[in-house]
Amino acid sequence: MQDAITALINSSDVQGRYLDTAGVDRLRAYFQSGDLRSRAAINISANANSLVTQAVAKSLMYTDITAPGGNMYTCRRYAACIRDMDYFLRYATYAMLAGDPSILDERILNGLRETYNSLGVPIGATVRAVQSMKEVTTDLIGAEAGREMGVYFDYICSGLS
Amino acid sequence: MSIITRSITTADREARYPNAGELQAIQEFFEAGQSRLRIAAALAANEHKIVENGSQKFWERCPVTPSNSGNPRFRASCMRDQSWYLRLVTYSVITGDVDLIRKVGTKGAKEMYESLGVPLRNVVECMRCLKEVALDLLRLEDAAEVAPYFDFLIQELIP
Repeated sequence: MQDAITALINSSDVQGRYLDTAGVDRLRAYFQSGDLRSRAAINISANANSLVTQAVAKSLMYTDITAPGGNMYTCRRYAACIRDMDYFLRYATYAMLAGDPSILDERILNGLRETYNSLGVPIGATVRAVQSMKEVTTDLIGAEAGREMGVYFDYICSGLS
Repeated sequence: MSIITRSITTADREARYPNAGELQAIQEFFEAGQSRLRIAAALAANEHKIVENGSQKFWERCPVTPSNSGNPRFRASCMRDQSWYLRLVTYSVITGDVDLIRKVGTKGAKEMYESLGVPLRNVVECMRCLKEVALDLLRLEDAAEVAPYFDFLIQELIP
């Protein structure tokens, strides 16, 4: 995986250059946002279970998907769904802290759509659930940090669709 | 790899969120970020001077060496390598980690210099000179921040 710093340095190194002004400005902004990022990570980590519960309640629980014949019907499938939501939240938090989405590709998104399709997991419902998680997370950590987390939730959604 | 990437990789291996101690360390890293950027910028801005002075110092100490033999190509290669190593040091100052020095700069370096007929002892001496002239340009506390990366580089190249 990469973070905002190593991503920039690796690309400068390939060109044999020092960081340019734009790069330095980007890093400066990243360092300045550090407090926001680590606070948000602490907050999310302390409330991870409840965030997933809220997101699922908001988007999936009272729809046809949990009824007999739906893809979340049977506790086993329900459990698999909240486990995945848990993963999405944790990896989005990693990516937010790093300021870089590469870990999402590496650990979550590569092959996920194909897996879901072969298991019959509906992509549309998954995307709705991730969007709900974005909303409940923003409610918890505030608008500014929420926007930053939103970048990575949206990244997961666009990687799925 | 920065402390951020490192903590996340560790946490991921254990399928957990970064703990309070790790986040504390990350936060300190963020706070010191501006000063690391400033030091790296100072080194980058003085690259030519550092390499020029480093070379002079090196040739005084090690007069018998390929780059001081009158062959302009050897001379240019020696100065180019010093620039490269200085650049890797500035990257490491920014990331706060020696990973890149090892990955890009020193893995295979001994074998390479040996096959090129460049005496390793002289390469090490050259890096010492580069370190000295680079640190001379910096304030004391900045020099203390940079020195460990040069020391790591030197240690890795010692035959």
